[in-house]
Amino acid sequence: MNLPELQTLLYQLITTPEGAKRIGNERRPAPGRIETLVRGDQRLSAIERVNIYADAYFYRLLDCLYEEFPATFAVVGSDNFAALVRDYLLACPPTEPSIFYAGRYLDSFLRNHPLAKRWPFISELARLERAILDVFHAADTSTLSDEAMRAIPSEQWPAIKFETHPAVEILRNEWRVADVLCAVESGRGWSQPAHQKTAVLVWRQDAQVNYRDLEDMETRALALLSEGASFAAICEAIAALATGSDQVPLIGRLLARWLGDGIIVRADAMLTTSPITSRI
Amino acid sequence: MNRSDFAPLGFGVGLRRPHYIYILDEQPLMDWFEVISENFMVEGGRPLEVLEGVRSQYPIVMHGVSLSIGSTDPLNIGYLRQLATIARRFEPAWISDHLCWTSVGGRNLHDLLPLPYTEETVRHVAARIRQVQDILERTILIENVSSYMEFSSSRLSEWEFLSAVAEKADCGILLDINNIFVSAFNHRFDPVCYIDSVPPGRVVQFHLAGHSDHGTYLLDTHDHPIRPEVWTLYEHAVRRFGRVPTLIEWDDNIPEFEVLAAAADEARRRCESVLSREGPGAVECT
Repeated sequence: MNLPELQTLLYQLITTPEGAKRIGNERRPAPGRIETLVRGDQRLSAIERVNIYADAYFYRLLDCLYEEFPATFAVVGSDNFAALVRDYLLACPPTEPSIFYAGRYLDSFLRNHPLAKRWPFISELARLERAILDVFHAADTSTLSDEAMRAIPSEQWPAIKFETHPAVEILRNEWRVADVLCAVESGRGWSQPAHQKTAVLVWRQDAQVNYRDLEDMETRALALLSEGASFAAICEAIAALATGSDQVPLIGRLLARWLGDGIIVRADAMLTTSPITSRI
Repeated sequence: MNRSDFAPLGFGVGLRRPHYIYILDEQPLMDWFEVISENFMVEGGRPLEVLEGVRSQYPIVMHGVSLSIGSTDPLNIGYLRQLATIARRFEPAWISDHLCWTSVGGRNLHDLLPLPYTEETVRHVAARIRQVQDILERTILIENVSSYMEFSSSRLSEWEFLSAVAEKADCGILLDINNIFVSAFNHRFDPVCYIDSVPPGRVVQFHLAGHSDHGTYLLDTHDHPIRPEVWTLYEHAVRRFGRVPTLIEWDDNIPEFEVLAAAADEARRRCESVLSREGPGAVECT
């Protein structure tokens, strides 16, 4: 058996549920049975030796995914979570050098998993947890400060265009899963989230990741902002959705919050010489 | 490769997340830190901010776990480019990874698997190390791993394999003393013989760590204090290789920083004690 064949066989033995024992007993790989490839002795057989690696593979990734998806774990429980990880690793084995990427498909995998029948919000919850990780590691870039915004002549404001910081994600959900995550993070017992369309903003400020539910109006405004709409167009959209006569203060509050949270990173070209602050 | 090309860093510990704030705020006395390369191969955010802060105060070394130098897959050029990028940014004293394979068929096991110790594997791995050194434009170190299986096809001992690869690739060796002890138990060889057979001119760094005893085998868990037998083996290594930069690894059940710092101090004390008593090279090289 040459080196590529040996490595391929070992990969199969290590990643198969129940490890080498199952393959070793049920369909001994030809031309090399495990015992002819790996030296066993009185202390440990060849299969037991390969199984040390099989156990390490599974439990290392289980630990990693448990750390990355604590709320998903809290909802489904340890036995279900272990079974989920076993299923997931068969469907989506790690392909990247960094173990950080091992869980990146868990939320989409959960969409069609039997656990989603019992907990129909579970995929969205896992997606929120994954977004928090992605935002934590997203690229750094300079952000537009409140002072820099105020320095722009008011007659230029209608034409201003923004972009969101790379460390910003907006998730559109069918369930209020942020309530579940918040409950788990604060050590409270979680309860079934409301089945209600909602958007969640996930962003990073001072290296900490935050999340909050968005009102429809702010969701629409941020969508327009991300699409490159002018500030005037964003204001018009807010005005159309707002009720009563408080549209101008409302727009001011939203803009102040975006600037304060540091989710706006760049205005359009005519502002590129304006002062900006550096933040990660 | 010339061992004197590598900085005499002294005694360091692995940079781990629970200690980030303490190290940045308190700037404790420590000669250097070793970082896991893959933990910082991200686009931005807190990890890179922390590394900037640590690097501004201490020398660092980058230690990888996913180079997969023994794999039969093509070298992952994207990974190497990322590694080169962070190396340019943080200027580590050197870069190391493991003499093993971690991936095949484009899939990653996230574990350090041993290779069959044959002349053919020596040629395969050495050629790939040379490629990596060309891409990174620097000499790298390769580390002996703990292992739990050996292959029937092996024709060399592990120390012959490690030495042959290092010679043929013209790279340095990161000699993990705990890994030698663990593998010696698991495969019933003499750890002293292992150390006495490694070429002194290539050993640039030592690793020290704790392991777990599972009765029929030892597991390299990095979650315990360093065992007395490993300390004894370390002293033997100091006799043979002299004053080599030494790093304390602790990756699970991570204690307070002071515990790691005390282990680094213990390594320093033992190293100085051995050298003052006997001097390097007291053991006959074989």
